Amino acid sequence: MTRVLLDVLGTFGQVSLQACRVVGGLTLLQTRILLAMFPPDFDYDETVRQFFKVGVKSVAVVVATALLTGAIMVIQSGNSVQETGATGLVGWATGTAVLSEVGPILIGLMFSGRVGANNTAELGAMVVTDQVNALRVLGMDPVRYLVVPRFLSMIVMLVLLTCIGDLFALTGGAIACQAILGIDQRVFWQSVLDSHLLDEMTMGLVKAFVFGGAISVVSCYFGLNVKGGAEGVGRAVNDSVVTAAISIFVANFLVTTIWI
Amino acid sequence: MEPVVEIAGVSKLFSGTPVLQDCDLRLEPGRVHGLVGPGGSGKTLILKTLSTLLRPDSGSVILFGTTVDYGDRDGLRALRDRIGVQFQNLALFDFLNVFDNVAFPLVMTPDPPPTDEIDQRVHEALVEVGLPETAHLRLPELSGGMQRRVALARAAISGADLMVFDDPTGGLDPVFSSRIFVLIGELQERTGSTVVLASHDVDRMTRICGRFHVMDQGRRIYSGNIEDGRESEDRRIRTFLTVEA
Repeated sequence: MTRVLLDVLGTFGQVSLQACRVVGGLTLLQTRILLAMFPPDFDYDETVRQFFKVGVKSVAVVVATALLTGAIMVIQSGNSVQETGATGLVGWATGTAVLSEVGPILIGLMFSGRVGANNTAELGAMVVTDQVNALRVLGMDPVRYLVVPRFLSMIVMLVLLTCIGDLFALTGGAIACQAILGIDQRVFWQSVLDSHLLDEMTMGLVKAFVFGGAISVVSCYFGLNVKGGAEGVGRAVNDSVVTAAISIFVANFLVTTIWI
Repeated sequence: MEPVVEIAGVSKLFSGTPVLQDCDLRLEPGRVHGLVGPGGSGKTLILKTLSTLLRPDSGSVILFGTTVDYGDRDGLRALRDRIGVQFQNLALFDFLNVFDNVAFPLVMTPDPPPTDEIDQRVHEALVEVGLPETAHLRLPELSGGMQRRVALARAAISGADLMVFDDPTGGLDPVFSSRIFVLIGELQERTGSTVVLASHDVDRMTRICGRFHVMDQGRRIYSGNIEDGRESEDRRIRTFLTVEA
């Protein structure tokens, strides 16, 4: 009995230590990123490359996710709306849910899966093939050269992608409203406009800003701390995606609590 | 003459396993040093240590007369500016083409030379390694051997005071291996730099290396010329320095 208790405590201690190590590492990396941004002499070409890779190449995924998310929100509320005849509220319900909660979270998770995982794998591969060491020996700071451009591009692009996603989510909702519920989509758009959802939209964009920062720091941390070869890269990608998802939900809780 | 590299009592543990044990190494300036030993003997780790990329758990590393202070970023950068490294697995940047890879050490210096000079030096470096027409190609378009030559060009282009080559001919055919060793020898003669290279190709190393260092189990067990090493009473030293043509 005592032995079992000791084993449980030992495991708990190890997990706690590992969690502390990760949180400490993330905090240190975040600090180094902020320090490396001043003065802002990071590599321009690498930053532009990251903006294209992170943002432009994610548009299709975000548009598809947003269209379907908006449509699903309308379908979910469809029965209640039709039973009560409150068709004028369908735009408000969809807009509130999509702009403030579901949109940023789902786009953030998609972004984490596509961009964050790719980022961890790319940095991890650079570590195991000594490319990061090559940068160091050439006098370059890997945080300034590799991480800062990724940090900036992920934050800016996730906010922009969320704007695009918001638009397409509402469009998806309007299409579903007309095609599935048989409610004229002008009623939907009028309901959205009448609901004055600027506050919800702003909160959603603030969340996207925070999610972008969290995904970039988490994915870069796990990428730069890869141990071992290809197996280590795979493990780091897995840890990165899981940690980024947890970070998104924690950040969402904090921002919502503070905002409201 | 003051040594370019003086490593004393360096030890390093990886996950509790000693990979370098009280290791010493002294590299005199202006010659080609050969580092030999079996796989896993610590050759790559000692090269990373003298490139300031591996921080030892104990011991001291003195480069160009300066003790390496791993907490002093500016000091480290100043030392690294004087070192050129070709890594065992090449470490070429796969997001850049051949030209940009070779030009990288020049472009990224605090005071880069004019664009025309960079173009000319990159072209000359690629001609030297026999790849004059590849500047615009991306790395996946090159064979392993060609990538190895690009890595050599990148390591050499800045004319560093200390050049480190880790297995520069790994995976190359015998003809090109000979050519790479000749290139390294010519490079050293032209620049007067100190060169240290690790390889298993003792036969070809003897053509350019004036001094050999033998590693075994994380320790340096011999430093001297090839003839004395081959007559050593230590069987390991004789074995590692035996020509395998």
